[in-house]
Amino acid sequence: MSRHVPIKQIVRISAGALAATVLSLSMLPSADLLGAQHLWGAETAQAATGTQAPVGQNTLQGVQPGVAPGGTGAPPAQPAPPRATTPTPGTAQPTQPAPPPPPTPTPGPAPETSPSVPSLDKPWPRSAKLRIKVIDGRSLKPLAGAEVVVIESEQRLRTDQDGYTPWFDAPLIRDPRYRPMVQELHGQLGVIAYKNGYRDSVHMGIRLNPGVESETTVWMYKLGPGDVRIEPVLYQEPFHHLWLIRLADRYRDRSQLGEGFQKP
Amino acid sequence: MKRLWVGLAGAVVAFASLGPTANAQVYTIDNTAQPAVIRVAIRGLNPSGEPDPRGRIEWVQTVPFEQYCEDVLPNEWIPSWNTESLKAGAMAIKMFAWYHHLHPVTIDGFTFDVDNTVNFQTFRYMSEQPMTNRAVQAVRRFAYVRPDGEIIELNYRAGNPQDPNWQYRNAQKMAQWGSEYWAEQGRNYVQILQFYYMDRALRQYG
Repeated sequence: MSRHVPIKQIVRISAGALAATVLSLSMLPSADLLGAQHLWGAETAQAATGTQAPVGQNTLQGVQPGVAPGGTGAPPAQPAPPRATTPTPGTAQPTQPAPPPPPTPTPGPAPETSPSVPSLDKPWPRSAKLRIKVIDGRSLKPLAGAEVVVIESEQRLRTDQDGYTPWFDAPLIRDPRYRPMVQELHGQLGVIAYKNGYRDSVHMGIRLNPGVESETTVWMYKLGPGDVRIEPVLYQEPFHHLWLIRLADRYRDRSQLGEGFQKP
Repeated sequence: MKRLWVGLAGAVVAFASLGPTANAQVYTIDNTAQPAVIRVAIRGLNPSGEPDPRGRIEWVQTVPFEQYCEDVLPNEWIPSWNTESLKAGAMAIKMFAWYHHLHPVTIDGFTFDVDNTVNFQTFRYMSEQPMTNRAVQAVRRFAYVRPDGEIIELNYRAGNPQDPNWQYRNAQKMAQWGSEYWAEQGRNYVQILQFYYMDRALRQYG
């Protein structure tokens, strides 16, 4: 019996193996990945040139980015006036114009190095509306009749049956230490809550936002037989992390980047 | 020869059955309801009393889904920002949470959807604010998904102030500062979302 395989048989085996490979590959999701990479590349080119690149067709109801209603996808030459449309219940918004590119897009990271941003230096009001809710820290139920003192202004307020103080004008104070560097994005102040039978609760760093109403919740803890050394409870609200990022980027030196400037 | 063909055909069938996505479930807003609750892993505090992204998981708190969104938005966006920026943020936060609710993780024996730190989204229990609550309510019945309805993660990063943040658009992430920039330029929240997330659709549900 000969050990040689006939040429015809080799051809048949090769053809079969090729067909099997094609069949198997067609069942893998790599085709989608390739498509996604293609779109990604289009996006990158689009950002670099500041033009709208064509994207895939949307087959279902929805928004087709980059295509104006009834349009062909060509971007307007100038930014379109903003549409004051908001979704109304009962109707989905099938099409919305994509925001046109600004006249001079500047691709690439542009880390902020200047100490202040002009439009962030808007007039800072002296006060903002605030109300405080006082709750029992264990049952989470509202505490009526608690007295709340605003440390900075010495205002005194009392909570109602729902645990809320009335709305009041609270001083909107930003820490002056940070103003020459990166000014805070919100005001901060502190309150102390008192109620008979409860530990005093000192609540610092309450965020107060200019031009809008703000709320905060003070947690109080009931005194029990095991409490022998009774002192106030401190609750410190953290800085907003968007501000922390700006602060860290402000002083970052290019010789030692650390985690680096904020990037996608 | 016949045996060879039969073996080859068998190999093809066996290999094809290994296709990884043949039976993978695709979650869409047509076959998935908005979560009623979300499981939030509460991480241990650092010595200063702040939740530590690398801290030990202390427990898992079950929070109503909408309350979770309301307790995240003021800690991720600035409540005094433009309302359209807040709505764009509310949508991104909701879709991020929804996606992770559908893809929970188990770490150190705890199964959860998100944690309370910047590993996922900054969550502080009962920190809701009136303005941000209105933004959450404004996008309540809407989802921002793939055109076929598939629920995907809407990611975002801080970005740079006073800048459209084109590089974030390239990365398919919304810049938080960029959303405020565009809102101040007069764009509504759908336009802001369209700018940062390509090939997505606004869909109504519920």
